[in-house]
Parts: sequence; C-alpha cells; structure tokens
Amino acid sequence: MSISVKTFASSAEAASALSSDRTARFMGGGTLIMRAVNEGDQSFNAIVLANDPALKQVQPQGDRLIIGAGVTMAQILASRDLDFLHPVARAVGGPAIRNMATVGGNLFAEHPYGDMTAALLVLDCQVTLAGGQSSALVEFLRDRAREPRALVASVSIIRPQSGVFRFKKVSRVKPKGVSLMTIAAWVPQSGGRISGARIAYSSMGPTPMRVTAVEQALEGAALDEAGIGNALAAATSGIEPPTDSIASSWYRKEVAPVHLKRVLLER
Amino acid sequence: MSVEFRKELFANERDDDLNEIGKGTQRQDALGHVTGRSPYFDDHLFEGLLQIRCVRSPHHHARIRSVDYSQAENMPGVVRIIRPEDVPNNFNTLLSLLNFGRDDEPLLSSKKVSYIGEPVLAIVAASDRQARDAVAAVRVDWEVLPHVLDVEEALKPDAPVVNDVYPNNTFDYHDKYDHQKLRFGDVETAFAQADKIVEGRYQMSPIEQAPIETNGAIAAPETNDRFVCYTSTQALFFSLGTAAKLLNVSSNRLHFIGGTVGGGFGGKVDSLVEPMAILGCMLTGKPCRFVWDREEEMQVGAPRGGERWYLKDGVMNDGRIIARQFTGYFDSGAYTRLSSYAIIKGTAHLPGPYHIPNVKSDVFCVFTNRTPATAMRGFGVTGVDFAIESQMDKIAHEVGMNPVEFRILNAYRDGDMKAHRREAKNCALIECAQVAAEKANWPIRDEFKQASSMVGGGGERAQIPHTVTDEDGKIGDRRAGRAGGGQTRTIAPSTPAPAPVAYTPPPPSAPPAPAQQPAVEQPAYAHPAAAPAYQPAATQSPPPAAPAVTPAPPPAPAPAAPAPSPASDSSQPSARPVNRPGYSRFASNSGFRRR
Repeated sequence: MSISVKTFASSAEAASALSSDRTARFMGGGTLIMRAVNEGDQSFNAIVLANDPALKQVQPQGDRLIIGAGVTMAQILASRDLDFLHPVARAVGGPAIRNMATVGGNLFAEHPYGDMTAALLVLDCQVTLAGGQSSALVEFLRDRAREPRALVASVSIIRPQSGVFRFKKVSRVKPKGVSLMTIAAWVPQSGGRISGARIAYSSMGPTPMRVTAVEQALEGAALDEAGIGNALAAATSGIEPPTDSIASSWYRKEVAPVHLKRVLLER
Repeated sequence: MSVEFRKELFANERDDDLNEIGKGTQRQDALGHVTGRSPYFDDHLFEGLLQIRCVRSPHHHARIRSVDYSQAENMPGVVRIIRPEDVPNNFNTLLSLLNFGRDDEPLLSSKKVSYIGEPVLAIVAASDRQARDAVAAVRVDWEVLPHVLDVEEALKPDAPVVNDVYPNNTFDYHDKYDHQKLRFGDVETAFAQADKIVEGRYQMSPIEQAPIETNGAIAAPETNDRFVCYTSTQALFFSLGTAAKLLNVSSNRLHFIGGTVGGGFGGKVDSLVEPMAILGCMLTGKPCRFVWDREEEMQVGAPRGGERWYLKDGVMNDGRIIARQFTGYFDSGAYTRLSSYAIIKGTAHLPGPYHIPNVKSDVFCVFTNRTPATAMRGFGVTGVDFAIESQMDKIAHEVGMNPVEFRILNAYRDGDMKAHRREAKNCALIECAQVAAEKANWPIRDEFKQASSMVGGGGERAQIPHTVTDEDGKIGDRRAGRAGGGQTRTIAPSTPAPAPVAYTPPPPSAPPAPAQQPAVEQPAYAHPAAAPAYQPAATQSPPPAAPAVTPAPPPAPAPAAPAPSPASDSSQPSARPVNRPGYSRFASNSGFRRR
C-alpha cells in the first residue's frame, strides 16, 4: 500500500472519514504521524487532515478557556491569555517541534511524551470531540487506546489564579530532553491549609495520570516541609513507572518524591 | 575554553614552527553544516527512484529451509526480488582487500543465518512502504539452531558452530593459532618472584555508533555501462572495492561519490549498502535507493564489539610491575569484518604505556551469534586500555600507592623496550600525569614531580629478555578439547637491534618454564644479564628468524618489518596504505588474494 492523504474543510467531515476507515489516522501537527510514516509504520494507510479554522482558536468562556485541538505549542507561547501554560509549552521539544506539535496531538502522545497533557490534567480539562461529545480528560485517557481514531475538536480548561498552578519537567538533557518525569500541580490553599489539590504525572505510566494518593495526603495539610511529608511518602504509591532509555523504573520511583517536593515547595 | 600549552616540555624535540597546532582552525565542513547546504547521499534523488528493503532473520541462528516470495512478487509496486543467487559473487570479507582473512560473509544468505537481522532476500519496489509490505509477505521456513552469545561459551568444544568458514568459532591467526600471541620474557617465573599477584576481569559491551544519518546509498545507471553510487560511506575505497568484488565487475565501472558523512564513528567503514543499491540498479535498470531505517541501524549496523579481558599482574611491594598477562576475547559477532585486525592492533598496544619486563598475551577473535562487530573510535585499543587503567588503579590500591605516582613509577621512559620489540620513543606519560595531577590538585611527592620520560629508560631495561614461547592453542585444539599442551621454547636475549632475534631451540629434554630462574643475588624483578646457557639442538635447524611475536599481517604493526613506525594511531584501516615496503612477506598469511 501507499499512504493516501485526504484533506477536509471541516473537522466533522474529517471525523466521519476517520470513522469509516480503520486504517486512517488523523494528523494534527505531524510530529508523531510523520515520524511513524518515515519509520515505515505499516499500521495505517491513510492520513486525514482538516483545515477547520476552529481547530486553531483560543477562546475565553467565563472562567474557562477553550483551546482548539490544532493550537500549536508556538501559538500558546504567543498567546497572552495562555501565559500560565508558557512554561509547559516551552518544555515541549525544540522550536521546530513547537511550531508543529498541537495540544490535540499531545493527548495521544505515547510515553515518554505528554507533558502538556499532564498540565491539562490538573486544570480540570474537559475534552470535546468533533462530534460534540465531551468527557473529562481522565476518562479520555483511559479510553485512548480503544479509540485511536477519535478526533478531538478542543479542550476546555480552568484559568488558574496566580500561584496555584505549578509545573516541572525533569529531563537529563537540557533544555529539551525527553521527560524522566513531568509533574503538574494545582495547589489551592484556604486558611493556610491545602484544599482540593490536583497532582498529575507524565512519563510515570502508560499515559499521563492523576496521582490521587498524593492528592488525598495533601488535603488539609500545610504547604510546608512537615505538612507535605505524607504526600511525599505516597509519591509513587500504586504506580509502576516504566523503564526506558532515560531511566529505570526503580530510579523514577526513587527520585519522584524529591521532584514532587521541589514542585510543591517551589524550590 | 582556553588551551594551555606546556611548551617547556620536550622543547628540544620540537620545532616550534607548526602551522596548525596551537592555532584555531575552522572545520572545512562547518559552513555547509550551519547553513544547511552540506550535501548528503540522500540529497541525490532521481526520477523514478526505486526503494530496496531486506527480509531479515528473526533468529540468532537458523537454517533456511525455504523462502517463499511468490506473494510478495505480485504485490503492487514490487519491481524485483533480489535473491542470494542474483549476487554475482556472494561471498566476501572486508579485509580480503588487504589479503587478510578468508571470505566468510554473503551479501544475502541462502543456507543459514547467524545473527538477528541477517538479510536473506531484498525487495525492490516503487516506494518504501510497498517494499515493506512485500517484505512482510515473504514466508521463510526457518529451522532454528542452538545459538551462542558469550565469547567464552563459544570456545567450548560443544558450542554451536557460528560461521562455517571458521568451524572453531575463532579467527585463524597466521594459519596456525586460534588466537594472537604476544610473548616477551617469562611471566610464570616473574609471577613466582612477585610479592603480590593482582588479577582482574574487565568487560565492555558492544556499542552502536548511532549516527544521525543511517547507512545508505543511491545508485543509478550512468553512460558507458557504468553505475554512479552516492553513499554515506566513511571509507570510499573500501566500499568501492567491496562492491566491485561482490558484483564481480571491474571497479572502473563504478563511479562512487562520497561527500558529507552524516556521522560515522566507524559504523560506516564496512558498509554493505552500496553493493545492494548497485545490484538493484543492475537488475532493474533503474535508480535504486537502499537506506537502513533506525531499527536496522541499531540491530544490523555493526557495532564496536564487546570485549572481555582477564589481567594478571605480578607486582613488587615497592610498586614495580614485573609481569603482566592478558587473556582477551573480542566478540566478532557472526562474521569477521574488522575484529581480526583490531586484535592485532590491540596486541601491539600491550602492556599499555608501562615498562613491564615480562608480558604474555593471548587474544581471541571469537565468533558468536551476535551482530558482526566493526570499527569504532580506537577499537582494539580502547577496551584493553579501560582494562589496563582499571587494573592500574586496582594494583595501586593493593600496594597502597598513590595511583598517579604508581603510574609514573611504571611509565615507559625513552629507550625502554616495548613488548613487541620496538624501542619506546617520545614518551610523555610521566609529563601528562604530572600536569594532570597538578590541574586536579592531586598531591604527588617531589621525586615524582621531578621524574622525566627522558631519564631512566633504556640500558638494562632495553634488553630483550629471555622469552618463553609455546605452541599452545593451535587451530582446532580447543575444539577437540586439547587446549594448551604445546611445546615450550625459549628465545635468547638480544639488544634491541634492527636485526631479528634468532630462535634457539631448547634441548630435547628441556623442562617447561620456569627454565630460567635468575641467580639469587639478582634483584627479584630483573632478569639476569647473563642468562643460563641454552643448548642448541644439534639435530634441529633453527626455525626461520622471527621474533617471539608471531608476524603480523598487513593491517597490523609488523614487528620485524622495516616499516617506519608500528604505532600508527589510525583507528580505521582505511587510513592505512595497502602496499608498504616490508608488508609483502606477511601478506598471504590467510591465503586469499583477490582479483
């Protein structure tokens, strides 16, 4: 087979082309799909593109922001509305990758990629498909392997108040190595105590994940060294990180509490 | 980073009128690289360019019962199937170009495969994807054979035979031994006299060179029945010679164009992409491109081979090393490629940059069911240097010495005799160690600060010692369960004269070593100047004049040859001239002459 490329004007048409062809894949920025093509991936025969301008839009909606799935990392870096996501976008690849890589594509990126997805996980992200169905990002990730041809139209996230959102990508090659582990944190406080924290990792499992054990340990704790002790102890509770060329599972487990502490205490 | 020159060192040995050294020089390809204009082989695309991909072995070791490509042949885009019998001369070894070693490797294997990824069929198709799909449709009936992946396991009598051309799983050295020998002095006697024996085992894993540009070539028909080939090779004339041999055409019909190598590091010295691309072109009459993908580069691309070294040192309490013994195993993978040569080069490097009066080394080029190994950045020397320097630290610790002082104590001085019977010249380890210690704020005592490479060498130390030789490890002995067991001989001492050292055969009933116990009053570490007399055997004529080291084949430093310097720094054989005076007498050791 040769690879065929089909381009559609709307994401709805693209979605229907995808659903009617098992061997089709959607291409956002191309950083994943074109690599697979170049490496001779024989698991798909068709590439579907959509020129829908809605995919490229960022729109405020109340206290939330709607980000089109085709918005690139470079676009995020150029957007004043998304300034809190600048450190996240900057952590993805080099300039060439950031010019191509999209928010929607990041949701499908396999380990060790998915830094943006970790950030979205703590920003109460809702994923909207081209057909209009909406689901929480956690559920979307859970079903991701079963639905490789889902076409994401946009994501909706909450706009954080200053100081609540933290992000750290740990890599061995600076400034753009792949992730050893990525930590995103949403740490609101009331009356000196943490309340409703959300913590997410990427590169610590098959998909980016919420770390509920840490979140529970943080509930009601003071945001200081003594207060986060239980959370650090639970840093990898129930998690079996992967072993890859960057780090072993053992190493990831060992260093996770160290990096989590740095993120929480902003050190 | 600033560069500091210690011009006060060896000032009398150097004319300070150098044009390049000490001055900044721009790489000649830097401008092309930073402006994105450096041309690579893959920039030479042709109209209607066909793509080649290989069917490869999924097994370490397997016999090929049958290959069914009937379905692949009829798939869309497939232009031609290249079978082993389509390769005009389907048997080669790289160093046959230097008359070293026997042909042992097909371009496409028809009978059996000996490593994962070994190619058995190639498919030429209109697109890479069509070629891949056709490869996936080829059915090979494999008879999986037992395999061996460890060098020492491979030497056991019951180990599977990896390479039929070398049925003992070892490269044949000098038509005689299953290993490369080095004998200098008498290590066994010296071990008996040493205050301490320090042993070590060191191992280096294979390393893939991992160039950004994978191995590849594009070939196209040219006028006058010639073929042009753009290639990523880092050894253009090796590639040209290899292609001419495998394709059985005169090299003047092949127009090879190299250029920018997108990373080589040794992994593109023995490339086999060119003959495949040209063959595709010959069989189809169309331009063909054969490029490895990343997985092939990692799995099939010849790496630096794994090495295992055993070192045994006899050391005096004052830190002097009086004997050093090596047993080395190079993992050549399934075929010879360049490991045979790396061993000759490595042996010439022993025992490292240290004055040791008794040295013995046996190094094996072992065939295992791994990817064939090749060149990488100082291969042959890097691995054993790691072993030697690790061992030096270990010994320094055992004798309670400062490791830098310990190296200075044992370092070669000018005029010392190296184990391969060449005088050490322009030694500089002591000075390097002194400067390194100073820069690292590593304290060394005054006497070591004042030591010099130019003082204290030669004289007694430059005598070639009585040398015990042996016939251990003749080809096939190990396989037959007869390891060792050879006859021990001794060689008379001699000054480091250019004249070759003559053998003196032992008396018929001479006991094996230690035959030359030094007199009691001699310093324990030194061999006596006046050695026990050897009785020439009247009934036996002396063997041909040769030093104890078995003569080395062309790519190696030849001990008895009048060639200028044996210590070439070239890490790749391509840099060496093929014909040099003095080489011819060793040239047919392995008995193959091509063209």
